[in-house]
Amino acid sequence: MPGIELKNLIKTFGAATVIDNVSLSIRPHEFMVFLGPSGCGKSTLLRMIAGLESVDAGEIWIGDRRVDQLAPGERRVAMVFQHYALYPHMTVRENMSFGLRNVRMPTAEIDKRVAAAARMLEIEHLLERKPGQISGGQRQRVAIGRAIVKEPHLFLFDEPLSNLDAALRVRTRIEIAQLHQRVEAAMIFVTHDQVEAMTLAHRIVVMNNRKIEQIGTPMEIYSRPATAFVAGFVGTPAMNFAPVELTDGPNGFVSARLPDGVTIPTRIEQASLPGSKAFKLGIRAESLRICGAEQGDTAGVAQFVERLGDRTLVYVRLSDGTTVVAEDAGTSRVALNDSVGVKFDGACAHLFDDQDRGHHAVADVGS
Amino acid sequence: MSAQFASGTVGRGFGDRLILGATIALAIVMIMPMLWAVGLSLKTNQALLIDTNSVLRAPWTLTNYYDILIGSGVFRWLLNSIIVSFGMSLGVLVLASLAGYGFARLDFPGRNVIFVLVLFGLAIPEQAVILVRHQLFSDLDLHNTYAGLMLPGMSAPFGVFLMTQYFKAIPTEIDEAAMLDNASRFKIFWRVLLPMTLPAQATLGIFTFLHAWNDYWWPMVSGTNPQMYTLTVGIASTQQNFAESAGLGYLMAQAVFAFVPVLIVYMFFQKYIVRAVSGAAT
Amino acid sequence: MSAAAGQLSDLGQARVQPACAGAHQSRWSHLLYVAPYLFLYVTLLVYPLFAGFWLSLHKADLFGGRRFVGLENFSRLLQDQVFLGAVGNTFYFILLTVPALAIIGLGLALALNRQTRTAAILRGVFFSSSVLSVTIVTLLWKVVFAPEGGFLANVLEAFGRQPVAFLNDADLALPAIAITTIWWCIGLPMMLFLAALQQVPRELYEAAALDNAGRWKTLWSVTLPSIRRTFALVLIIEVVLQFQLFGQAYLMTQGGPNNASRPMVLFLFEVGFTRWDVGYAVAAGQILFAFIAMAAFAQYLIARRKEAF
Ligand SMILES: Nc1ncnc2c1ncn2[C@@H]1O[C@H](COP(=O)(O)OP(=O)(O)OP(=O)(O)O)[C@@H](O)[C@H]1O
Ligand SMILES: [Mg+2]
Repeated sequence: MPGIELKNLIKTFGAATVIDNVSLSIRPHEFMVFLGPSGCGKSTLLRMIAGLESVDAGEIWIGDRRVDQLAPGERRVAMVFQHYALYPHMTVRENMSFGLRNVRMPTAEIDKRVAAAARMLEIEHLLERKPGQISGGQRQRVAIGRAIVKEPHLFLFDEPLSNLDAALRVRTRIEIAQLHQRVEAAMIFVTHDQVEAMTLAHRIVVMNNRKIEQIGTPMEIYSRPATAFVAGFVGTPAMNFAPVELTDGPNGFVSARLPDGVTIPTRIEQASLPGSKAFKLGIRAESLRICGAEQGDTAGVAQFVERLGDRTLVYVRLSDGTTVVAEDAGTSRVALNDSVGVKFDGACAHLFDDQDRGHHAVADVGS
Repeated sequence: MSAQFASGTVGRGFGDRLILGATIALAIVMIMPMLWAVGLSLKTNQALLIDTNSVLRAPWTLTNYYDILIGSGVFRWLLNSIIVSFGMSLGVLVLASLAGYGFARLDFPGRNVIFVLVLFGLAIPEQAVILVRHQLFSDLDLHNTYAGLMLPGMSAPFGVFLMTQYFKAIPTEIDEAAMLDNASRFKIFWRVLLPMTLPAQATLGIFTFLHAWNDYWWPMVSGTNPQMYTLTVGIASTQQNFAESAGLGYLMAQAVFAFVPVLIVYMFFQKYIVRAVSGAAT
Repeated sequence: MSAAAGQLSDLGQARVQPACAGAHQSRWSHLLYVAPYLFLYVTLLVYPLFAGFWLSLHKADLFGGRRFVGLENFSRLLQDQVFLGAVGNTFYFILLTVPALAIIGLGLALALNRQTRTAAILRGVFFSSSVLSVTIVTLLWKVVFAPEGGFLANVLEAFGRQPVAFLNDADLALPAIAITTIWWCIGLPMMLFLAALQQVPRELYEAAALDNAGRWKTLWSVTLPSIRRTFALVLIIEVVLQFQLFGQAYLMTQGGPNNASRPMVLFLFEVGFTRWDVGYAVAAGQILFAFIAMAAFAQYLIARRKEAF
C-alpha cells in the first residue's frame, strides 16, 4: 500500500484563503487524525484529497501517482461522510455495490466483496433493506462498508461519529480502530473531538486557522505541544497559562517567576530558549497539586470545585487575581471558598515565547 | 390523511356531535348536484320534459348511456384528453427535472439571474399572454394539433420552481458520494438524484395532469376542430343544446360519463392529489 | 489485489482529466440542462408577454392590420362602460366568494381536524368537487338553478313558492355563479387550513388545557392566532384565483343578463376572440396582469415573512 504526500496545498474561496501552503506526508497504513476547531479547514483539506474540492496550488500524491487532477472516483480513495450520504432509494447491497458496478467490475467479484464487508461489519441481515429502514448506527456501518468494498488506498472519514449517541460513539470508535487493523490502507479521520483524536491516531495533525500547527503522535501533541494553541486546545481542562519572568535556575535550567512573585524551577534549558523576554508559562492541571494552605508554592481561594470521581478539579484564585485549575484526589475534601495551597511541578512546565512557540523540559526528564 | 391531527376540540360532548351533524348535512348538500345529475341521466328525455321530480320514482333507464356508446364524440374527446394530459405531464416532468437539476446543482454563467427571471414567470397569468400565444400558434400552424394543446402548459415555471427546490433540499454529500463511486454527472442525475425526487415528481405529475384535464380556455381556442376537442371542451360544446332541454337526460349522462371516472381516480389517489393541489398553491 | 481493483487504478493512470469538482465550475455546457425549458419559457411566456405590451399600443385586428395608437386602447378602456362594469363585477365577485371560501374553509378544517374515519371521508367529499373541470361544474349547477325542472325550482315548488330564474336575473346571476364557485373551490382552502392546523404545536394545546381554557377560549386564543399567516395566504390565493373568473360566467350566463355577470377575463375573451379587436383585448389583459401581479407580490411577501406572523 502506498503512502500519501501533500505538497504545498493552497485553497481559496473567493478572497478567503482556507488552506494556506499545507504540506504533509502520510505513511502507508498510517492512521492520521486531523484535529482542530470548527472552521479551521479540516474538511476542506480532506475534500481536496478526495477530489471534491479543486486544488488551487500544490500537489497530492498517492504512492507514485499524482492524483490532484484526477476525478474523485479515480483516486482510489473512499470517504465516509458525516451524514452517511447513503442513497436512500437503493438497498444496502446496492449502496455498497454501486461504485463497483460503475467500473464494470464482474458481478461475482462484487458479490464476494460485499459479502465479506457485510460479514466484517455484521450487517449481513440488512443487505436487502433500504437506509430508511435501519438505525443510525447501522447506517454508519453501511457507509463504512461502502468504503471497504472499494479496497481503496486511503480511507477518509469526515467526523463520522458526530451523529451518534455517546455510547454508540465509543463503540464505533473502537470498531474503526479494529477496521484499521484489518485493512492495509491508510486512514485520515477528521474530528474536533480530542478524545477521538488521542485514542485513534498514530499521528495527529492539529490545524488552526488555515495552517498546520503541529504533527505528532498523541503523546507528543500532549506533552510537547509545538505552539500555545496546541497546548491550549488539547487536554481537558485546558492548560493554565501565565506570563512569567525568567531567571537563571540550577544546572542551566531556567526558573519562572509568576506575577504573584512565586518562582518555579523548570527543567527547560536556558540554552534552548530564544533571546526574547516575554514568555508564558504553561502548565496542566495535573501538574498543579492542591495541598494545605501553608504547604504550597503559592496559595489562594477555591472558587469552584469540579468532582470528576477519579480526581477533583479545583479552580483556585491566586493572590494577584489570576485563576488556575489544579488537581486533587477524587476523595478531595476541598470546599468552595476554602483557602488552599498549590504546589507546582515545574518539571512538567512549558514555556511559550512571543511567537507562541513551545519550549519543553529536556526530553529524558520530561514526563 | 396519515399525519397526526392535533386538535383543539378533542372531546365527545354534545357540541361535538352537533358540529359533526352540521358537517354531514353540508356534505350532503355538497354531493347533491352530482346525485341530481346522476338521477337525471337515468331518466328518458321525454320523462324529464314533463317533470324532473320523476327522478325520485321508477322507471329508471340506461338508454342515455346506450346512446352515448353508439353515437357520441365523447370517446374521441376522452382519448384526446388522455393524450394531451399524459403528454403534457410527461413533458413537464422531463423539462422541470432537467432544469431543476441544472439550477440546483450546476453552475453556468448567469444562473442566478436566469432563475429569478423564471420565478417572475410565476406571476404571469395565462390571460395576459393568451392572445399573442394564439397568434403565434396560428403562424406556426400548431392549432388543432396535440403539440399545440400540450406546449403552453409545459412553459409554466411552476414545475421548474418545485423541482429546483426539491433538488436543493437533497444534501450535496449524496452527489459527492456518487462522484467517489465513479458515477458520471449524468449518472448521478439519472440514477441517484432523480429517483430521490419521486415524491415531487408525483406531486408535479398529478398537478399537471389535473390542470391539463380541466383546462378549458386554451383548448377551446386552439383545438377548434371537434375531432380535437378535449373532454372538457366537448362537454362545454354540448351545453349549447341545454336551452332546448330536449336532451337533458342525454346531456347529464355525458356529464356523468365525464366526471365519474375522475372521481374514482380521485378516490384512489386522494392523498397525492390533495398534496399536489395544496402544494401548488403555497 | 484483485483484477478489478487493478482496473480501477488503470483508469486513474489513463485519463488525466481536469476535475472533479466540476459542478462548482461555471460552464456553458451546464446550460444544456435548462435550455429546453428556457426555450419554451421564452417563446411561450416571455415573448407573448412583451409582444403583448407592444401590441396593446396598437389598433390591431385579426387580419394583421396594425396601427400604432399609443395609449389610446387604455384610455378607451377607462371610458368603456362594459369594461368598467366588468371590473366592478370582478371585484363584487371576489367579495362574494373569497371571504366565504376562507370562512367556510376554516370552519370545515376545524370541524374535520380529527383522526376518525368519518372525518377522513368528509374531507374527501368536500375536496372532491375540486377535481372536476369547469364545464362539468357549470353543467351540474345549471340543472340546479334552471327555472323549469331545476333542483332548486323543484324544492321551492315543494314549499309552495314560485321558482326563480337565478341565472336570468341581473341581481341573482353573479351570486349564483358565486355559489357555484364556492362549491367548486372549497376544497383548497379547507386543505390549506388543515395543513396549518397540524402545524400548531401540540404543547400549545396542552398548555391551554393546563390553564383550564375551554373549547372556545382555546380556539380563540390558541388555534386562530397560530394560523393567522395561513389565513392571509388563503385570502390572497383565492383573490388571485377568483380574479380569473371566466368559465363559470361564460358557460352559465355569457355575462348576461345585461352585462350583470361579465367579469374582466370574459370581457377580454370576447373582445379578443369574438370581436378580434386584439390590441384592445391585450390592453385589458395588461390591466388584469397588473392586478394579479400585485396580489402575487403580496402572496410572496407573506410566504416569506414566516416568523413575523
Ligand atoms: N464552499 C465554500 N465557500 C466559501 N467558503 C467555504 C466553503 N467551504 C468552506 N468554506 C470556509 O472555509 C473554512 C474552512 O471550512 P471547513 O469546512 O474546512 O472547516 P472544518 O474545519 O471542517 O470545520 P467543522 O469542524 O465545523 O466541520 C470555513 O471558514 C468555511 O467558512
Ligand atoms: Mg468539517
